[in-house]
Amino acid sequence: MITSPTIDDLLEGVILSLDADIMPALDQPKAQATAQMIQSLLQGIRQLLPNYEAALTQEHNEMNAALRDAAAALAGVDGPEADRMRHRADELGSEPDLPAPPDKEALRLAHRLRSEAVRDCLYDLDVLQRDGVTAADESLTVLRAMLTPHYLSYMATFPVAGGMLGRG
Amino acid sequence: MEEQLSAVLVEHFGDTDAVVVENLMALPGGFSRETFAFDAVVTRGEATTKMPMILRKDPPPSVALLQTSRLGEHNLIEALRANTGIPVSQSHCAVMDPTIFGEQAMIIERMPGNSQTSDLFNDGPDAGQVDDVVRHLCEVMVELHEASTEAIDPNGELRDPRGVGVDPSTWDSYMDTTLEYYINTYPEMEFDPLLLTVLDSFLWLRRNKPRPCPLGVVHGDFNPANFLYRDGEVSALIDWENSRIGDPREDLGWMVLMDVLADTQVMAHPVDEGGFLAYYNKLRGLDITPEELGYFTLFGTANIAVPVNSALARRTRKEQTEFLHLYMIQSSAPALMSFLSLVGYPGVPA
Repeated sequence: MITSPTIDDLLEGVILSLDADIMPALDQPKAQATAQMIQSLLQGIRQLLPNYEAALTQEHNEMNAALRDAAAALAGVDGPEADRMRHRADELGSEPDLPAPPDKEALRLAHRLRSEAVRDCLYDLDVLQRDGVTAADESLTVLRAMLTPHYLSYMATFPVAGGMLGRG
Repeated sequence: MEEQLSAVLVEHFGDTDAVVVENLMALPGGFSRETFAFDAVVTRGEATTKMPMILRKDPPPSVALLQTSRLGEHNLIEALRANTGIPVSQSHCAVMDPTIFGEQAMIIERMPGNSQTSDLFNDGPDAGQVDDVVRHLCEVMVELHEASTEAIDPNGELRDPRGVGVDPSTWDSYMDTTLEYYINTYPEMEFDPLLLTVLDSFLWLRRNKPRPCPLGVVHGDFNPANFLYRDGEVSALIDWENSRIGDPREDLGWMVLMDVLADTQVMAHPVDEGGFLAYYNKLRGLDITPEELGYFTLFGTANIAVPVNSALARRTRKEQTEFLHLYMIQSSAPALMSFLSLVGYPGVPA
């Protein structure tokens, strides 16, 4: 999976291009307003993305605790409403908390370090192969076999539509 | 810009009373140059002639995908016009003074014909012409590849146009120095380690050189967007900026990849000749194998990939903010799969 440009870089690029390439060519006030709305929405997504999974996880765990505490506060209360409160606490509220997701930037950097290590292996294996070390062929195949599904996954999750747009 | 164009053309023609520029319009299309269509209304005495023209202008160096010379392209086009029957636009002049248009530029004839070559494919409106057009396209390429390099490049401008140490004095020296250039430049173009398969392919190319083939003038960006057609013939082969002395199989290999990226089927035609490669082989008697074509798909792609990915790397480092370069990170991604397939990665679909 690609790590640079980042998803934030891509979104920022679209926002900048709307300013530089699109808005100067828009004659209609409604179209200009829509372009500004698109920019605003994209800016919101930029701010939402880095924290989205961490926030969902934290809120999930806090809701678990609150479901249990709210039911506990009704100790001694009878009736179907209080029973349903206790039931929710015993079911959903008693499920284990979710682990905190890894920090996105730390994950990106760790991924990048390993990608660079694999790349550097290619240089070393090339020297060995040119020196006639046949074991290097197998070693290279190991790396390539690991990489193939990564590229297939990348192509599937970041697809291209329309070929080279704008080129006739 | 109209005033500058008029002034340049008056000086170029030398014998005109006036040149009026009409219908100036920016064109989409070329990824590497800024292109404008216009009509030059040329007055000589009582006579007035309307001449369709194109201004090809360099982008600022920081966002240029390819650093090439407009004067070199002008000289090449005029040499092709003088020495071959290849359909090319007349190049009126190269404007090397960047103060006139902001960067180097050239003014060329705007040729007739449809530049929307996608109309030929996928049940497009001109699908009925595709065999005839591609047959002619193949014949044009054969003429280019068999053209005398001494006649087309008398001053040696095409021997190493990027000035990167390529030595085309023999086929082996050409291949070795070109591969050295690719491999040494890889660190500059690595906008993301995902490109490591490109490095893998460069190293693989060096380890697996095929049989030699006579060098010749190659177009350098022979792809489905770089020709115009009408009435079943190619009316112009365009965009000569990356032309050089090279192995002709590079042009064929680059077309293979661009056919995939552009969702066209140039290489499948003309059908009655068994496709582009079979017809090319028939005309030249070279017997280029599919394996060689695969090798030169990688090799020819590398020639474009090095400068283009270097530009994308500058965009990723935010040295400039050109949106096209971000788009190309996505649109060129299928090329990576072609690299995997051609080098022989396990598990890659054909």
